[in-house]
Amino acid sequence: MADIALKSVKINKFFHDPVTMPVLKDISLEVSKGEFVSIVGKSGCGKSTLLYVLSTMDTDYEGSLEIDGTVVTGKSLNELARIRNTSIGFVFQFHYLLPDFSCLKNVMIPALRLGKLSAKEIEAKAYEKLKMFGVEDQALKKANKLSGGQQQRVAIARALINDPAIIMGDEPTGNLDSKNTGIVFDLFQKLTKELGQTIITVTHDEDFAKRSDRIIEMADGEIKSHGH
Amino acid sequence: MKLNVNTEIALTYLATRKKQTMVAAMGVMFGISMFIFMQSLMKGTNDYFEKMSFNSTPHIRLYSENQVADNHMLVNFLKDPSTKVLTNPKQLIQTQGIINPYGIIREIKANPQVTNVTPQVAADVIYTSGSVQINGNVAGVNIDQEDKMFDVQGNMVSGDLHDLNRVNNGLLIGKGVADKLSLHVGDNITVTSGTGSPTIMRVVGIFATTIKQVDDTKSYANIVQAQNLLGKDRSYVTDIKINIRDYNNAPEVARDLETLTGYKAEDWVKANEQLKAAFKIRAVILNSVIGVILLVAGFGIYNILNMTIYEKIKEIAILKAQGFSGPAVTSIFLQQAIYIGLMGGIVGVICGFGITYMVSRIYIGAGTLKYLPMSFYIPHYIEAICFGILTTIAAGFFPARKASKVDPVTIIRG
Repeated sequence: MADIALKSVKINKFFHDPVTMPVLKDISLEVSKGEFVSIVGKSGCGKSTLLYVLSTMDTDYEGSLEIDGTVVTGKSLNELARIRNTSIGFVFQFHYLLPDFSCLKNVMIPALRLGKLSAKEIEAKAYEKLKMFGVEDQALKKANKLSGGQQQRVAIARALINDPAIIMGDEPTGNLDSKNTGIVFDLFQKLTKELGQTIITVTHDEDFAKRSDRIIEMADGEIKSHGH
Repeated sequence: MKLNVNTEIALTYLATRKKQTMVAAMGVMFGISMFIFMQSLMKGTNDYFEKMSFNSTPHIRLYSENQVADNHMLVNFLKDPSTKVLTNPKQLIQTQGIINPYGIIREIKANPQVTNVTPQVAADVIYTSGSVQINGNVAGVNIDQEDKMFDVQGNMVSGDLHDLNRVNNGLLIGKGVADKLSLHVGDNITVTSGTGSPTIMRVVGIFATTIKQVDDTKSYANIVQAQNLLGKDRSYVTDIKINIRDYNNAPEVARDLETLTGYKAEDWVKANEQLKAAFKIRAVILNSVIGVILLVAGFGIYNILNMTIYEKIKEIAILKAQGFSGPAVTSIFLQQAIYIGLMGGIVGVICGFGITYMVSRIYIGAGTLKYLPMSFYIPHYIEAICFGILTTIAAGFFPARKASKVDPVTIIRG
């Protein structure tokens, strides 16, 4: 098997309000580098919860999580923020761009936060990413002036700006029509095949899932099928 | 210019919410300009009253105090300290005033802090003109020295104070005395002291100090004249008036002089305790007003930042999801507070100066006070900026910390 991008060992998570109940039960999974994985399952099966645990944003779980060969469980919130900044790109169901900033700035902000490149280089890179999604002509518009599909494409460009090892999507195409879904899917595929980036998405869209490399099926907080 | 990304986001938030930013900055502006105005007014007024009090009070006054009779003479005579005397203790009048005053003046002048020393003979007298008599007091002075220390010239209404040196039996009288006895420059007046014989004197000048009590009773005479009035010799001096370089050191210098001369040295602080009390009361009133203004301005900032955070909570969650750490988010919002504070502070300082200047041109015209006394004192402006920035940081800190604690998962998942 290829290098492991992400590995979870026996992750358990409980919701405590109103009563303590398990939402994730002994989730152990591995995702290789360059893999395009879809997580599917019925609403409430815990797939989104799992994604947020894998994204390091949710730290309230038992078990252990490894990203890019480092154990991230138990790290401080600031270290986790750093890890998210460098190695994880996130795409949400709703675009969540910052409406006060131009599209270009929106894409640039995570890279500016990382601070590895100069502002000029980042700007060039951001243009390049916007171009990949065909929205470079919208670059200087305010984010809230774009259509939903365009906004989602800008949001994906933003997720890619720091060349993260893993891109996570929470229903990334949930708000898009079939044409835009197609565009996004093709791009995701290109990222995994050509650039070796790993993609983990949670989706309801069966077609989208079927076309990905692997489908992980979840039900009642457990993995029913790893899709191998 | 390369801006830190936190700064850039902070500035963008401020720029996209111009109205709120302006309102918050205006709160700070009012606070700071009021701070400067109030401080300037307070310092100006205090300085004015201090200066006023120095028009009649020296920094230090040396005099011989009456003492209660005790048995030390008897003990000296009997050489037996165990002797007890049963008496009804009475004040002893120190009839001889200050002994060897000119020797003492020489010694006082040796003190490097002392700038001016002048002897004075104070005499309680009765002024008589025609059949009208009023009580008062004559200060026998060296008028040139007196003028140097207390600006007598500045209070002169008519006549020439230097005539005191030229005219035999010359007298400068207060305006109140002149009015009551209907006297003009050149008129004669009979002055009677408790111990001397009545003397006819010539009015050579009239002064007005704006302090009614002084104008109604006081007069200046040559020191020799005053000694004559009291029937005393030329070495008779009741007070020595001393001015020093920095009047704030008066209490310490007074203590030194007391040990040096053995006479009572009263500093101006003791002589004007009511003035000091007024300073303190004013300080309390003004500081509480300023405190309230800054507090209100602080709440304004707190409110506006809190609202911003409430509105932007999703964006904060996104920033955190993209790898902005808690401290980075704190920095974004604290910076907004600081920029609001800086903006308000700078405009506030300018406004504060403007208001102070304008008020200093308001005509009052009471006594010698023509315009409202305002001080333009640089440290007030620096203090104002420091207080303004401290207030905004304090007001911004709690919302900023709240923003840094936003949990992205709960916000994004809804």
